[in-house]
Amino acid sequence: MSIGTSPPRLEAGDKATGRAQYADDVTRPGMLYAALLTSPHAHAKILRYRTDAARAMPGVKAIVTGADLDGRRYGGLVKDETMVAYGKVRYVGEIVAAVAATDPGTANAAAAAIEIDYEPLPAVLSIDDALASGAPILHDEFAAYVKTVPGGGHGNVVFESSVEEGDVERAFAECDVVVEGAWRTQAQHHAYLEPNGCLADVDAEGRITIYATCQSVHHVQQRVADELGEPMARIRAVATRVGGAFGGKHASHIHSIAAWLARASRRPVKLVLSRMQDFEVQRSRHPARIWMKTGARRDGTIVARDVRITIDGGAYADESPPVLAFALLMSRGPYRIANVRARGQAVYTNKLRAGSFRGFGNPQATFAGESQIDELAARLDLHPLELRLKNAMRPNDTAFGGQPVPSCVLAQCLTRVRDAQQGAPLLAPRPGTRRGVGFSALSHISGLMGTAASVQLRTDGSIALSTGCVDIGQGSDTVMVQICADAFRVPIERVSYAPQDSDASPYNWKTAGSRSTYMTGRAVAAAAIEMRDRMFEHAAAMFECAAADLELRPGGAIGVKGVPKTVSFKDVAMRSLFHRGGPLAASHGFVFDGPGFDPKRASIHQLAFANLGVYTFGAHCVEVDVDEVTGKVEVRRAWCAHDVGRAINPTSCEGQIQGGFVQGMGYALTEAMHWNDSGWLTTVTFADYKIPGVLDAPPEIHAIVLEDPDPTHPVGAKGIGEPSLVGAAPAIANAIHNAVGARVRTLPMTPERVLDATDATR
Amino acid sequence: MMDYVAPTTLDDAYRALAAEDARCLAGGQSLVAMMNLGLVSPARLVSLRRIDALRGIAAQPDGALRLGAMTTHAEIAALDVASAGASLLAQAARVVAYPAVRAWGTIGGSVAHADPAADYPVALVAAQATIETGSASGGRRIAARDFFRGLFETALAPGEIVIAVHVPAGPPGGRARYEKLSVVAGDFAILSVAAIVAETAQVAIGGCAPTPLFAMAIALSDTALLAAGQELARQSNPPDDHRTSPQYRRRVLPELLRRTVRAAQELS
Amino acid sequence: MSDPVRTELTVNGERHDVLAPVEATLLDVLRTSLSLTGSKRGCNHGVCGACTVLLDGKLARACLTLAVDVGERPVITIEGVAGDTGFSAAQRALIDAGAIQCGFCTPGFVIALTDLFARDPHPDRAAIRSALSGNLCRCSGYVKIVEAAERLAGARA
Repeated sequence: MSIGTSPPRLEAGDKATGRAQYADDVTRPGMLYAALLTSPHAHAKILRYRTDAARAMPGVKAIVTGADLDGRRYGGLVKDETMVAYGKVRYVGEIVAAVAATDPGTANAAAAAIEIDYEPLPAVLSIDDALASGAPILHDEFAAYVKTVPGGGHGNVVFESSVEEGDVERAFAECDVVVEGAWRTQAQHHAYLEPNGCLADVDAEGRITIYATCQSVHHVQQRVADELGEPMARIRAVATRVGGAFGGKHASHIHSIAAWLARASRRPVKLVLSRMQDFEVQRSRHPARIWMKTGARRDGTIVARDVRITIDGGAYADESPPVLAFALLMSRGPYRIANVRARGQAVYTNKLRAGSFRGFGNPQATFAGESQIDELAARLDLHPLELRLKNAMRPNDTAFGGQPVPSCVLAQCLTRVRDAQQGAPLLAPRPGTRRGVGFSALSHISGLMGTAASVQLRTDGSIALSTGCVDIGQGSDTVMVQICADAFRVPIERVSYAPQDSDASPYNWKTAGSRSTYMTGRAVAAAAIEMRDRMFEHAAAMFECAAADLELRPGGAIGVKGVPKTVSFKDVAMRSLFHRGGPLAASHGFVFDGPGFDPKRASIHQLAFANLGVYTFGAHCVEVDVDEVTGKVEVRRAWCAHDVGRAINPTSCEGQIQGGFVQGMGYALTEAMHWNDSGWLTTVTFADYKIPGVLDAPPEIHAIVLEDPDPTHPVGAKGIGEPSLVGAAPAIANAIHNAVGARVRTLPMTPERVLDATDATR
Repeated sequence: MMDYVAPTTLDDAYRALAAEDARCLAGGQSLVAMMNLGLVSPARLVSLRRIDALRGIAAQPDGALRLGAMTTHAEIAALDVASAGASLLAQAARVVAYPAVRAWGTIGGSVAHADPAADYPVALVAAQATIETGSASGGRRIAARDFFRGLFETALAPGEIVIAVHVPAGPPGGRARYEKLSVVAGDFAILSVAAIVAETAQVAIGGCAPTPLFAMAIALSDTALLAAGQELARQSNPPDDHRTSPQYRRRVLPELLRRTVRAAQELS
Repeated sequence: MSDPVRTELTVNGERHDVLAPVEATLLDVLRTSLSLTGSKRGCNHGVCGACTVLLDGKLARACLTLAVDVGERPVITIEGVAGDTGFSAAQRALIDAGAIQCGFCTPGFVIALTDLFARDPHPDRAAIRSALSGNLCRCSGYVKIVEAAERLAGARA
């Protein structure tokens, strides 16, 4: 059995030797290089383009500006985007034009030679400015935009949603203790090591293939087809090896721009963003303001919570509606609180769009919620862990929104991290620092949307597996092969895994939402079972028995139960290919089929999700040392317990947990995108935008993998991609409070903010 | 149009630097990064790597050092230190950036670049080092305090280069300590303190003004150290950037100074 | 962009003659002129370490090294680490420890580990962390990378 073991990743050898092909490693003969021209204004009308000088440069083969577009808009639930700026620019860094030329220098010079006449407009750079009466409006034609889900947007409000259960007003009146507070979180950047990029190739018929670092070949294909006005059959997207994504590499204009230039020039076009461009052009995590009020009875039962969340969506809607929805849904926390009201807005501002990023609204909501739980515990004179355990969700509870949650091991997650920390040998604090211990609890989901898998039996009896699930570094390639191999009881070497190619791969929504092992893994297992059944039909004929009498034998064989004789997979393949029946193949596709929200319990207004996924739970415990002079926080050790349902590849689970924790630690302590008063992003290099290095990360991050199998998954698996990021910041905030008695409510918790908060307590 | 020359003698280097918009290429760890970011584009690069006269570390019996301009941070970090001055330099060298940058970055290049948040300028000012320069018309010795003039600005005249850095031993029996506060490891300093301590302390502060701040003959009591720190804070002109407010650096400076001096005293 | 100049380089034991502008970095030349794409461009300003190579036996950031300035000093890239043997000890250790996720940082870490173990066969955890302090990883949280190196340090007893 492979599930539960940790074979090395299938592609690890290629990655270790430098053979793995990432987007910028792909080249084609005659390849052109693309350069981008971006907006220097946060908000301006585009009056005129002058491209003659650029076109005249030797080596320039194609140029595209907004003047080439027809004005149709694309995007997520609110379709407000165009491939390059059209009519207006709405953030500094927005792409206004692109050039393809025979060498990068010429392309850059030509892009710089494109002259654009702008009429600057007043810009809004903050939520307050965007919502002020008389504020300049970013999207004048918002009312005319296509919206696939109504969100009540108006002015600079993109979307408004609310979820409510019970009766918060009445419930607060019954509370003995009520705490109230406000938190602010910053724009975080994914900072994947590999910048976004692609190569668009074109054939003699003008059919385009985009080789892209991406999270979904189907998304890329769809977006490019839309933005080029081509039928999808003429657009092919192929995933290269992906050097990290975290939500920042799903459909992006750069794919369409490269494709447009390739179509126009009839040559392959390479478009890879520089690190600076990647910061300026793509997307960030949503900065957020969270106001929260929680009330409990004297005995520690939490009975009410009221939440308001405003997320700053930047200049385009992107995934603001679902991020808002998820933040609201997660704002109850993993607790049995009967009366909860969560209301929120997503707001346009003249900054880089905010969109999906590991955690998807949950980090923001949980930073506030898990900080407030500690404050409530203090007011109730309860240990923070005790308050959490008392109110923790239990199996067969319902989530906020009414979905049943059949499995929940939150209590075990909390006690495991508590026990692990208490049992660990004491680490002496560094001189001049104060030690603190902090906890957080969290829930998250794995699920969403549709996916499919297909399997084929080869002439030698080996298995060819294909899915549309792009491995973005989290190890899904290996996991799918493990699931498939186990379904057939063969070693993983007998299963090959096809690359993701929109021409060949079954549909997958995207690698996101911690959904790959749960959703695509489920499809793989189901496809394998269908194929097995077809193989059994052949074997039954060969043995002259009933299919029900058959069983799989290890190593690729089928036998009659209780009888040693077998036929091999190869025998079955031979029969099917040359004698009867035809080549054996099977596939299985499904869309997430769990229960939606329950209108008897929850009042839901304009929520961007109809359906979510299976729930997972986790808990973190961290030890920090806070420097008494500087306020700098060092995370010394962390324990992260997560329910993954079933660990297909335990080492990969641990790696995801540890990596997510450190990315969450960066969110907590050192990472922040910063815009100046003119709307220019100033944090555009790794020197300015500070992600943790090995010396910043704690040497000990103990990943505690719990397995509470999900009943809807053939192997019991859930997901683990996102939750470990969610728990980090609040656990660190609570540890800081434990160390110095100061509550920091703004991320990142810089040394200055820690000192200021410490001062405020004196 | 960029051209590149790699002279083998100082005289050849001076001649090459006489060209319009010519710059020295030492370790390249700052210059090439700036070129890649489009911040500079010199017409001529004069590589110093073939000039033997710029290499070599010479130690005096009392522990003073003459460091050739092309001495790398890694070489300085690995020095067997026999004096407070040498120890201070070695400590600063150890925390410059990252291992690969230390392998190739040079003291001459770093000094000529004069980034106020860099590690050498602070250490050199605290150690009361002198910079030995050379040019077609002769060389001079400039005290470190006078050498660093402002943000990326030095006393070097056009065509004048750093030949070597002279680091005095410091007071006999003196101890040295370099402390650096940064957001993440390997980063430039938000605030740095370089201290040499014997009967009194002499300190330099980095990261809170366009050039290092300096104070000497500070008595070693807590009161005197904090007072000296507060005076330096008054003199400071910290940048107001997204890392910290100016108030933060001024506020932390006195205690950080005191702590650094105490740490130096504890070193055996 | 300047006119290309003729530049000789010795990479992984082979001599190459390339034409590259003065401002071309070693990373540019490796990836474009020599098609050695194993060294990666993560930031192009010397912070991330994904471009790390060995130059004259020392760790170097290929993005901060001008190709014209390399001269006769030998360059070793990720493609030259394993030789004929499939995987070097450092590569094997990273694979086996599950320390490779997206893999973009991996070549740089392999070079950093190769350099570390060439200087010190038994580094302790502090020496390992210090040696790796110039290589960023966004996926792993570094824990398994350090574990791989610790196993290697123990295995060489």
